[in-house]
Amino acid sequence: MKYSLQLITATALLWAGLAFAAGTQYELRVDGLACPFCAYGIEKKFVKTEGVESVDIDLKNGLVIVTTAAGKTFTEDELKTLLNDAGFTLKRMTEKSL
Amino acid sequence: MSRIRWMSVGVAITILTALGAGFSLWSPSPQEPPYQLVKTWGGKGADPGRFNEPTGVAVFGNEVFISDSRNARIQVFDLDGHYKRAFGEAGKAHGQLGRPMNLTVARGELYVADYFNDWIQVYTLDGRFLREIGQAGSGPGQFDAPGGVAVAGNGNVYVADFYNQRVQHLNADGGFVRQWGVTRETGVFGGKLGYPTDVALAPTGTLFIADGYNDRVLAYDLNGGDLNTGVSSGELTTKWGGPFAMNIHGPWNGWFATVTSITVGPKGNVYVADFYNDRVQKFTPDGEFLNAFGLPGDGTMHTAIAVAVSHDGSVFVADYANHQIQKWRRNEQDR
Repeated sequence: MKYSLQLITATALLWAGLAFAAGTQYELRVDGLACPFCAYGIEKKFVKTEGVESVDIDLKNGLVIVTTAAGKTFTEDELKTLLNDAGFTLKRMTEKSL
Repeated sequence: MSRIRWMSVGVAITILTALGAGFSLWSPSPQEPPYQLVKTWGGKGADPGRFNEPTGVAVFGNEVFISDSRNARIQVFDLDGHYKRAFGEAGKAHGQLGRPMNLTVARGELYVADYFNDWIQVYTLDGRFLREIGQAGSGPGQFDAPGGVAVAGNGNVYVADFYNQRVQHLNADGGFVRQWGVTRETGVFGGKLGYPTDVALAPTGTLFIADGYNDRVLAYDLNGGDLNTGVSSGELTTKWGGPFAMNIHGPWNGWFATVTSITVGPKGNVYVADFYNDRVQKFTPDGEFLNAFGLPGDGTMHTAIAVAVSHDGSVFVADYANHQIQKWRRNEQDR
């Protein structure tokens, strides 16, 4: 019984650690992304933000895909502010842990 | 009843005539024969002669300089598109490139607006780094995403400072002289700009500003001014782009849908990259529409982001959608 509890605890801690170690991916839908002056502007804002590992722009679908490092998360308001600074409005977003 | 009917017809004819007159006024016909696409070169890739998002072009003598933006390099070709050399590498250090945008050759040097690194990089024409002008910020002499640069004969530079919503005039050492636009405020009136993307300087002393998201071109006179300070009057002499040049975009002749590049040709005419309309438009220095040409885009990716003109009147266009360069000519050249 004692060993079982230790095993369960260790497994739970392992999963929690893995969850914490992985970052988050945000898929942001914005309009008017076809112009590189706009797309590069968004990329530049995110790249200069601490904890952002990568930014991919999908021009055809108007998507900005932001991947963060472990422990770094954004609130929706923070993302809206970043996009507003780049001259855009966030239409919708999805978020998933990696 | 009949009288009312005739009055209605009269009103309708008047309205249609007014609309027709307005349309011909705001959508003029071409004033010269059409341009023909001579050739294209490039295609997506990182090998020499290929591009990953070309965003700037300049011509000097018999060479064409291209900002190969995502490859973080400048590539050089002859006027027929044969590869000659490349220089630059990705990074944030002196001589390295973030995202090179519109280019200018002046005084035997290549000036590169670096959108990511917030400065103007200056190279020799064979690719040796010389110096940079400016740094990141919104103060005098600082930039936030410079999109294009023009250089006067005395070395003074004019920089389209995209996110700072202004065009800065700096002396050759980078010292602030003056600006057009209100720092970090967009607008159509009150001397404000809306995301300026590029500038061009005519030998006559006119500064043309591509007022990007305001869908218009502004022309300022740099002659005259204060003889003691050397600062020109810099007064607005004309503007164009849709009705009253007040940020009304459209696909018709003389209208724009985001202006991303501007240059002055050998005869003083002004060439403008009209990004979302997938074309270059050509105007007299006073803004009279002359011609338009381009390759259609697919609706989401667009084919004309930057433009330059060679001494023989050939027009080179950076085609962002297809990662290539277009070369256009008229049979009867604008020499």
